[in-house]
Amino acid sequence: MSKPQKSTVKVRRFSRAFVWAHAVNAISFFALYITALPMYTEFFDWLYPVLGGPEGARLLHRIFAVAFVTPTFIWVIFDFKGFKLWMKELVTWKKRDLEFFTEFVKELFGFNFKHVRQTFFNAGEKINSIIQILTAILIIGSGIPMWFPEIFPRALVQWGYLLHNVGFGLAIAVVVGHVYLSVIHKNSKPGYSGVITGEVPAWWAKEHYPDWYDEEVAKGNFPDIDKNGNPKKPTSPDKKKKKGA
Amino acid sequence: MQYTDCALIMGANPAENHPISFRWLQKAKDNGGKIVSVDPRYTRTSSMSDIYAPLRSGTDIPFIGGMIKYALENNLYHKEYVAKYTNASFIVNANYKFEDGLFSGYNEDKRAYDKTQWAFEKDAEGNLVKDFTLEHPRSVFQLMKKHYSRYDVDTVVKITGTPKADLLKVYEAFCATGQVGKAGTIMYAMGTTQHTVGTQNVRAFAIIQLLLGNVGLPGGGVNAMRGESNVQGSTDFGLLYGNLTGYLNAPTSTDVKNATLAGHLEKETPKTGYWSNKPKFIVSLLKAWYGPNATAENEFGYQYLPKGNKNYSHINLFKAMYDGKLEGAFLFGTNPVVGGPNAGKEKEALSNLKWLVAVDLWETETSAFWQEEAGSNPSKINTEVFLLPACSSYEKEGSISNSARWMQYRWQAIKPLGESKADLEIIHELATRIKGLYKNEAGPTAAPINALYWNYGEGHHPDIDLVCKEINGYDTTTGKLIAGFGALKADGTTCSGNWIYCGFYPEEGKNRAKNRDKKDTGMSLYLNWSYSWPMNRRILYNRASCDPNGVPYNKEKAVVWYDAVQGKWTGVDVPDFVATRKPGDAGFEDPFIMMNDGVGGVFAPTLNDGPLPEHYEPFESPVKNPFSSQEINPAIQLFDGKFNERGFKADFPIVATTYRVSEHWQSGTMTRNQAWLSELVPHMYIEMSEELAKEKGIKNKDEVIVSSARGEVKAYAMVTKRFKPHKIDGKNVHQIGMPWHFGYKGIATGETANRLTPHIGDANTTIPEYKAFLCDVRRAD
Amino acid sequence: MATEYVKFVDVTKCDGCRACMVACKNWNDLPAEPQDFSGSVQSHAKTTADTWNVLQYIEHEDSKGNLDYLFRHSACFHCTDAACEKVCPENAISYTDFGTVVIDHEKCVGCGYCVNNCPFEVISLKEYVDKNGDKYKKANKCTMCTDRLEEGLQPACVTTCHTGAMEFGDKAEMIKKAEARVKQIKDRYPNAMVYNPQGVGGTHTVYVLAEKPSVYGLPENPKVPTSAVIWKDYAQPIGKMMIGATTMAVVGAFITNTIISKKKNGKNEDGGEHHE
Repeated sequence: MSKPQKSTVKVRRFSRAFVWAHAVNAISFFALYITALPMYTEFFDWLYPVLGGPEGARLLHRIFAVAFVTPTFIWVIFDFKGFKLWMKELVTWKKRDLEFFTEFVKELFGFNFKHVRQTFFNAGEKINSIIQILTAILIIGSGIPMWFPEIFPRALVQWGYLLHNVGFGLAIAVVVGHVYLSVIHKNSKPGYSGVITGEVPAWWAKEHYPDWYDEEVAKGNFPDIDKNGNPKKPTSPDKKKKKGA
Repeated sequence: MQYTDCALIMGANPAENHPISFRWLQKAKDNGGKIVSVDPRYTRTSSMSDIYAPLRSGTDIPFIGGMIKYALENNLYHKEYVAKYTNASFIVNANYKFEDGLFSGYNEDKRAYDKTQWAFEKDAEGNLVKDFTLEHPRSVFQLMKKHYSRYDVDTVVKITGTPKADLLKVYEAFCATGQVGKAGTIMYAMGTTQHTVGTQNVRAFAIIQLLLGNVGLPGGGVNAMRGESNVQGSTDFGLLYGNLTGYLNAPTSTDVKNATLAGHLEKETPKTGYWSNKPKFIVSLLKAWYGPNATAENEFGYQYLPKGNKNYSHINLFKAMYDGKLEGAFLFGTNPVVGGPNAGKEKEALSNLKWLVAVDLWETETSAFWQEEAGSNPSKINTEVFLLPACSSYEKEGSISNSARWMQYRWQAIKPLGESKADLEIIHELATRIKGLYKNEAGPTAAPINALYWNYGEGHHPDIDLVCKEINGYDTTTGKLIAGFGALKADGTTCSGNWIYCGFYPEEGKNRAKNRDKKDTGMSLYLNWSYSWPMNRRILYNRASCDPNGVPYNKEKAVVWYDAVQGKWTGVDVPDFVATRKPGDAGFEDPFIMMNDGVGGVFAPTLNDGPLPEHYEPFESPVKNPFSSQEINPAIQLFDGKFNERGFKADFPIVATTYRVSEHWQSGTMTRNQAWLSELVPHMYIEMSEELAKEKGIKNKDEVIVSSARGEVKAYAMVTKRFKPHKIDGKNVHQIGMPWHFGYKGIATGETANRLTPHIGDANTTIPEYKAFLCDVRRAD
Repeated sequence: MATEYVKFVDVTKCDGCRACMVACKNWNDLPAEPQDFSGSVQSHAKTTADTWNVLQYIEHEDSKGNLDYLFRHSACFHCTDAACEKVCPENAISYTDFGTVVIDHEKCVGCGYCVNNCPFEVISLKEYVDKNGDKYKKANKCTMCTDRLEEGLQPACVTTCHTGAMEFGDKAEMIKKAEARVKQIKDRYPNAMVYNPQGVGGTHTVYVLAEKPSVYGLPENPKVPTSAVIWKDYAQPIGKMMIGATTMAVVGAFITNTIISKKKNGKNEDGGEHHE
């Protein structure tokens, strides 16, 4: 059976700053996760030798903790516009965002689903972002007194342990889904290359974020494309023009 | 102690310095006994006590004098005991007088008394005149009453600084033990003795205890807590400069009677009391020392004994050293550069020696006195110092005697480290080598050395069992061990190295110092645990726990009694009495068998500074003596010049005292080299009141400098609520205190408190006055 | 289970001699830790990794201005509900049959959770250096000489205590003794009390205190920190469940996707329908 060839036309979805910020965030998150696992449950104690013993694990955890704090700054400094857009999206909730979730579950498990029209970030990504932000604040905020218990009141340190743990649980739960969607779930896969390179196939972008895509087309930033991603009109020379900043 | 109804702790801090004694005090408390602490500073002992009363250092005699008056006036004394068992009924010679702080017979030039002025009156037959009604105006009782009538509560409070309410609480609590059947004990230590009136301080305790009937019974007594685990043993064995072993007086050349043994024996031996046996002890001692070389013909070697004509106390020895009159010195386990009075001068004195042999576990501040580290210039010091490494107690075998006179044998736990040797081995080597050097010589120097009987086996290690046997004594013809000092003879057929211990090794294989039976043989006396001299008696003068008929005053706490059926004394303790003495026998009612008169001495006409304790201010004091115009003890020997600078109130207004802490021992040589003890008390500090600190602008933890007429010491300030200024005659008199353990050697180091203390001693013992002197304090920066 | 034992410390019998401190170092072979001058007789501010018991010296003035000099042998309480045991991520802290709480150094990773959660602040980390010169940490505290208990001996501090301020014995009996003692000393110490805090299920060191706990710097009502309870009893299990659930969800999703995409091969690439 012959399948219609998808167009290779790509559009820029994310700025370089975001790509970097996301990469640092993701790498440090996983590093923190790995280095914390044996502390979270002794089931993972076998990781200690790998990490250079408890001392090594602690040291790595602290190095990555510092790395984990940096992405926000990278994004804010190098792509403030993008950051602002993200913030704006996070606080904008409409009916379609709720509809998204019913369809998302279908999509997740591979059933037939409808694309609910979404803006730059879909509702799922927004939820992901919000939870990630909250858990990051929780984890970073509680991590500092854990790191320097001698300069904080004991009660704060004690609550720090709890909040770090809660933050960890939440973050992991969200990240597992996030990663699955991007890396394994084939419908979302192009998103994965998006955060790596900053670019996504135009057809995929249009399908998943039609409101945003159309907006960009209207601005003349993106080519108008058909179902297979081929330009309806001759490709404009500035199709790869950077979006945003 | 656990049987006491009230323990008066004065001049001591047993919770800190004699903690094991507190095991028994705690038991006394559990049994309802009261603990009273009298101390310039609120100590850990005070915190464990029911009553605490502060006093200014050096005012023990007013404190107890007031108590004597209180007991007499309120009829709290034990009347039968006082009349029968003390010399209160004796009549004193009409020459006896006491005026303005001086007893009759004082010679100002010699700073000494003619003690014959205080003698007891005797009838034509030479018997003592007594008045058992105690009403004769020259009876000891009436003289004492008159003497202490001056020590009224208000005057006492004015000089001791003790709040009146606290003083009366102490008097009331302790005098309650005067009730028949009650027992009170006084526990004291160097806070009592280290004064120019140290002996009289203890005498004051003895008087109140005799008045309250508290001597000779469980839970009673005047208990010296020793400053070292074997002080008792060392004084028993003649460590004191005026003694041979067993408290036999060393003959001096100042008395012509000592020129011959016969003269010496006559002079030393009283007609009555147990000391009438003294010739047996002296001759047996000479036989132990000179063996076959001691014969009746040569006065049993009596002439070999050195006969000095000086006071050989610590201060006087160092004075002689300071004046360049001593060539050499052996210092066995002693560290005068830290522990001696006016220690800066003692260090200077050492440099006048040609040679110094120090025997110690570590190099001490004393054996290193010549080093630059000690602040000396080695090129200017010609003293040759030999340091001999000594073993610790765990590395050697032998015995020590505790303050209850228990001679406890200790076995070797570990082999000596390195080349260290036991003191006994060092002495043995010295003796055998010196004897070897003089072997072929004759003349007065060689004679005593050649005559010395040194028969403790061949080789480098003496046979300690032979030493033990000689201490006990044996029959010099058969070699059979003597069963007890009652069997010693004055004819040279017995020997005994220390008559009071005779009986501890009564037969072959039975060294009773090795007894270790934990069974309570009654009244917690544990008769089969170690050996207590004399004759394993645990409570001295225990006859005094019974009434004149031999019936215990307190049946629940009975230790000995007269058993009419058996016709002898018996009990759970060994009777400190002639067991077969029956009612009606001469002396049946005289419990104090070592006293010539068989009774306790309320009045002591033998002491150098008076028959009754009288208050004099310390050598250095900020207060005028309200009792007389005699400011300081008139009978003390004064040292002047650079050897002993004296400070006065104008420059040094603060009273200072020294003391110890639990964690350090003596000059700290052993403990300051021990990491676990050093960490507990790692720094030299002084304790002062919040009030004084405020006046001087000193904050807790500040570094301060304490100065006296003799030196300066830098230390940390420990500002504490436990020191309060004394209200003396309405004015604040400040007092500070400091531990004296520190020196610059070892792990825990600090400046030496004794650089501040004076070279002045008690009138009888010359023990230095470490406990009360004047100083000033300022911030170090 | 062996008999439950407690160490009964009657501070009113303690004379502050500190033999317990030396006996502890001696038995447990702990090094000395000299401190700067503290301004008091007390040698260490509190227990440390090398000083498992510290004798407290407190100059306390009561409301009437009467001075008391109070002492307390302070060491691990060996709580029945021990916060340290609860928060240890490595199960390195456990209860023994004697009721003592001990740290297994084989398992301890030196995270310090126990240090910061102990309501009595008696646990400390100690830094060690291994044979390669690498540093590592382990938590340390009083073991109640569990190694001695196993041999039928008593804790070293108890054995050395000469005033009988410390006793080691059957829990019920010791508590009875403590209560009787408080009655006995009420005249001298009106605020005297038995300190056996129930907030941590009772302790295996039971005190008779002469004063209110706060005078000794002790919490009046210590308990396992609420944060630790939520953390260990709720957050951790829920967190694990959540991670499990999410993982199950993605695994499920992967499987269904694989199955469904095989069936629908050739349909829309992402299976989505457009509703334009």
